[in-house]
Amino acid sequence: MAIFALVTVTVACSQNRPLVADNSTHVNYAGFWELNLAQSDNIRARLDTLVRQLREQAARRSKAGSDRSGGMAIGNSGSNSGASIIGLARMAEMITGSQLLEIVQGKNDILIKREDTFSLDCEFYAGVVEPRKSLLGSEVCGWDSHQLLFRIFLPDGLTIQHRLSLGESGDRLNIATTVYSDQVSYPFTLNRVYNRYQPEREGFVCELTLTRGKVCTTESR
Amino acid sequence: MNRPYWLALLLLLAGCSSVGTPTDVAAKEQAGEWPPSVGEVELRVAQQVDEAALLDLGLIVFDPGIPEDESSHSERGIFPRIREVEARYLPVVLREALVASNIWGVVRVLPDDDKTLELRVTGEIIHSDGIDLVIRIKAQDATGRVWLDRTYHDTTTQADYPALSVTDPYQDIYHRIANDLGQLKSQLTGREIANIRDIALLRYAASLSPEAFGEFLTIQAQGEYVLRRLPAQDDPMMVRVKRIRNQEYLFIDTVNEQYGSLYEDMEPTYYLWRQYGREQVIFKQDYQQRAASRSSYGSRGSFIAMQQIYNAFRKSKELDQGLAETAAEFNSEVAPTVLEVDGTVFRLSGGLDAQYAQWREILRSIFTLETGLPAVAH
Repeated sequence: MAIFALVTVTVACSQNRPLVADNSTHVNYAGFWELNLAQSDNIRARLDTLVRQLREQAARRSKAGSDRSGGMAIGNSGSNSGASIIGLARMAEMITGSQLLEIVQGKNDILIKREDTFSLDCEFYAGVVEPRKSLLGSEVCGWDSHQLLFRIFLPDGLTIQHRLSLGESGDRLNIATTVYSDQVSYPFTLNRVYNRYQPEREGFVCELTLTRGKVCTTESR
Repeated sequence: MNRPYWLALLLLLAGCSSVGTPTDVAAKEQAGEWPPSVGEVELRVAQQVDEAALLDLGLIVFDPGIPEDESSHSERGIFPRIREVEARYLPVVLREALVASNIWGVVRVLPDDDKTLELRVTGEIIHSDGIDLVIRIKAQDATGRVWLDRTYHDTTTQADYPALSVTDPYQDIYHRIANDLGQLKSQLTGREIANIRDIALLRYAASLSPEAFGEFLTIQAQGEYVLRRLPAQDDPMMVRVKRIRNQEYLFIDTVNEQYGSLYEDMEPTYYLWRQYGREQVIFKQDYQQRAASRSSYGSRGSFIAMQQIYNAFRKSKELDQGLAETAAEFNSEVAPTVLEVDGTVFRLSGGLDAQYAQWREILRSIFTLETGLPAVAH
């Protein structure tokens, strides 16, 4: 299994093709989305889960004798330190703070505009996944079956993944954001659920009038 | 697939994507091809204007220098949409310097090539980021003589990015180009300047009707145009040609207003984008040192360290996307141009180069109708 994994990783590494750049699945994410906090993950509960997983891992290692120190998995410094674990959770919370999304999807590309932060965008030309590199990191995106994945590789062993999946009715969007750090042996995942909304039905409605120019009201249509 | 496998996969992928810094490598490879930076350059400004010695100068929108191989764009730090707008933006900045030098007639930025200009300046963007700007400039007059074909390079320093700068961080490169062109022009005699102007007008006339005006010029083996004879001063056909050319210039002047708007709209975002691009390079250069010292950086894996890394990336993405959006808006929202000729109103639409082609076609049709000469196929 380990050899297979290594070979797979080497292939993925050399070809930079871990995902599929093919929009033929026709999953339509386009539209306006607003965060549904009630249906989204509770960060405290996710943190408890991660801590439990790390403790179980430490216990397994201790039993198997692989952890010679036999100490706690969660300490004050180094790998799996408490600060690193809480740091992962805080990062996930910070990254997933957008309340509203606007998704524009074309035949060969998709753009996810996120409130108060940069957009996620992906192009599917020629069916080839091309990593985009910059001085501060690199990105790769593509389809994993019906799910859309974005991975951002940053310095210091920090990696962020957004996995988008659409509910059966098409009105519910889940974004599972996972933060990986080489200082914590488990990643931290936070699910944010978004529901479709029609922006013109709420808030301001503006009309161009001949006599008064542009007039905006707060009435719903 | 279990989680440790995924983690191993992702970390290895992260590792292979961050091996080396391709942009640095590419820049180092290119460094040998670039000339030294122009340094600090004062713009030479003529104190007196000799009307008879003026030449009109046309700057063609630059070649954005986007490689066909799309996979190399990110490695070279090229954002095609931004480059395409830079190709319109940089000539506008160069135009400012040329106008300020006070030795040229009318200086225009043209959306498409026109070989009948008195002095035609083309450019290609070789490299553009917050630290280095490299452009190749070629200047050729209407006789076909090449004035210069040179690559210019300018490097910024921290001092070029004050908080509220009113000057372009690369103003030295524009000053150098303007000074070089001015120097070359100053070597021309009054007769040579008049010759360029006559040939420019006759080449324009011949582009409208080779039958009527082709005989006034000959082309030498080296491709240079030589005047055989001049039409009479009051030649009615030449009067029409001048009128048509002025109508073409009317369009160019309208286009230049739009380029001016682009310059104003884009300047603040573009300035920040370049400034941040410079900071990114510095950040990367200092990264290992700062990461090793961990003074104000937080320990690896801490929230502060991760937050700094993520926020640096986030800011860079927001600037890239903001500028790309401005660029896309300019490309898609070019205003239709409405022009009038002899009481007839023409509405031109599409991109500026398309509008320019439409306008030239209309003017050629008008000329053909007025003169009864055969239409020229383009």
